Amino acid sequence: MQPETIRHTELTTSPSLADGFAPNGIKMSTTNLSAFFGELQALYDVNMEIASNRVLAIIGPSGCGKSTFLRCLNRMHEVAGGTMTGSVLLDGHDIHETDAVLVRKRVGMVFQKPNPFPTMSIFGNVAIGLRLNKGTPRNQIAELVEQSLKQAALWDEVKDSLDKSGVSLSGGQQQRLCIARTLAVNPEVILMDEPASALDPIATAKIEELIYDLKKDYTIVIVTHNMQQAARVSDHTAFFYLGRLIEFDETKKLFTNPAKKQTEEYITGRFG
Amino acid sequence: MARHFELELDQLRTLLIRMGSLVEEQIDCAVRAISTSDVSLARLVMDRDTKVDEFDNSIDQQCMRIFALTQPVAIDLRLLMAALKINNELERIGDIAVNLAERVEPLAPYDEFVKTTALVAMATAAREMVKNAIDSFVNNDPGLAKAILRADDTIDNYDRETFNLMIKKMKESPENIEPASHMMIVSRHVERLADHATNIAEDVIFLVNAKIIKHHASDIGLQ
Repeated sequence: MQPETIRHTELTTSPSLADGFAPNGIKMSTTNLSAFFGELQALYDVNMEIASNRVLAIIGPSGCGKSTFLRCLNRMHEVAGGTMTGSVLLDGHDIHETDAVLVRKRVGMVFQKPNPFPTMSIFGNVAIGLRLNKGTPRNQIAELVEQSLKQAALWDEVKDSLDKSGVSLSGGQQQRLCIARTLAVNPEVILMDEPASALDPIATAKIEELIYDLKKDYTIVIVTHNMQQAARVSDHTAFFYLGRLIEFDETKKLFTNPAKKQTEEYITGRFG
Repeated sequence: MARHFELELDQLRTLLIRMGSLVEEQIDCAVRAISTSDVSLARLVMDRDTKVDEFDNSIDQQCMRIFALTQPVAIDLRLLMAALKINNELERIGDIAVNLAERVEPLAPYDEFVKTTALVAMATAAREMVKNAIDSFVNNDPGLAKAILRADDTIDNYDRETFNLMIKKMKESPENIEPASHMMIVSRHVERLADHATNIAEDVIFLVNAKIIKHHASDIGLQ
């Protein structure tokens, strides 16, 4: 049977919405993506297209497979001992036919809990990826670190203390440091797994503003439990339930008039 | 699952239904006061408008509280949006009832003149539209709401006929000028009642079908 690709164009009738879905093309796509932990199936035949330079939010109750889906997009799922079937394409090429390290360089990841390297300085935390990447000339590292910290909206706060430990920063600053570390190796896609769930409202607002700014240069996929955050930061939203993609649409459509009853019940807090 | 949020929404619906009943009664009394030259009934309508205004404020506050505390989405968001707009329409309907009541005293000496017009039939049809609009909200009934949109033409025809009749009567005798002028204004007020009922109907269709149809009546097969 032919795989059924769920796109918002099939859920709406307005051609203008379809035109605006991916003005810069499709960056990633999954076809019949199923993921497993041993015998346990965590994802079932997920077909999705991720638009370039757009923010895609993945929502759903705990255990619905949203983080697993995220980790399948840069082959981190296999690091966690999982297996998968189906395909994940990055710019039209199967990521399983590419070296995993290269995939993760192009598809960076920011985790729920800020995880700066505790023995490294702020500078060192951002530079580590560049140093490991043999292609970066040494005399360019400082410039790229500064650029990444500026992109992560952290430069002004740390420029006079670059030699201090990364863990001396506040939680929100640490998370932006991790984003700077991800940006330093010049990825094309950034995956964020609940990046603001451990932060206070001000730090959360900074991260959200950062996400908004970053989509000019990157494609972003964010997993969040915070419905309002998904509505605020994303262009498209995918709702997962019990390992299946239930609905995928433009965020403004999904949060005002979802096509599926399950989606409506979840986003209005009536289940999950 | 009973949730405090559901209770908040239920309270909001109840407030709107109670306000709707009150403005229906206000229209009834105002029209009856004109057709029977009952000045004391007209005064009751004017005095009771403060209750309509109190509902208006309560509903605004309830909506603001729900928006601020629960950040509603999807059907809940549409309910809040519709509630704010329906509240506004009901408050305006209440004001029109007062406007009608204010015409009772100047028209009282011309009760025979009033009887020559189609005021009662027109007002009955407009009141029915308001009642149906409120019912369509209470019962989440977009079918009834669409019927209201169609009925608006009837009221427009009544208004046009009244206008032409009043011009004719003014031409017949200068003594008709004063009552005819009042009746033209009364007719225009009743016509506005129907417009507000139509707006409520459009809000109900938005609430239930998530479809914005105002200014696009042809989209739902009305034209």
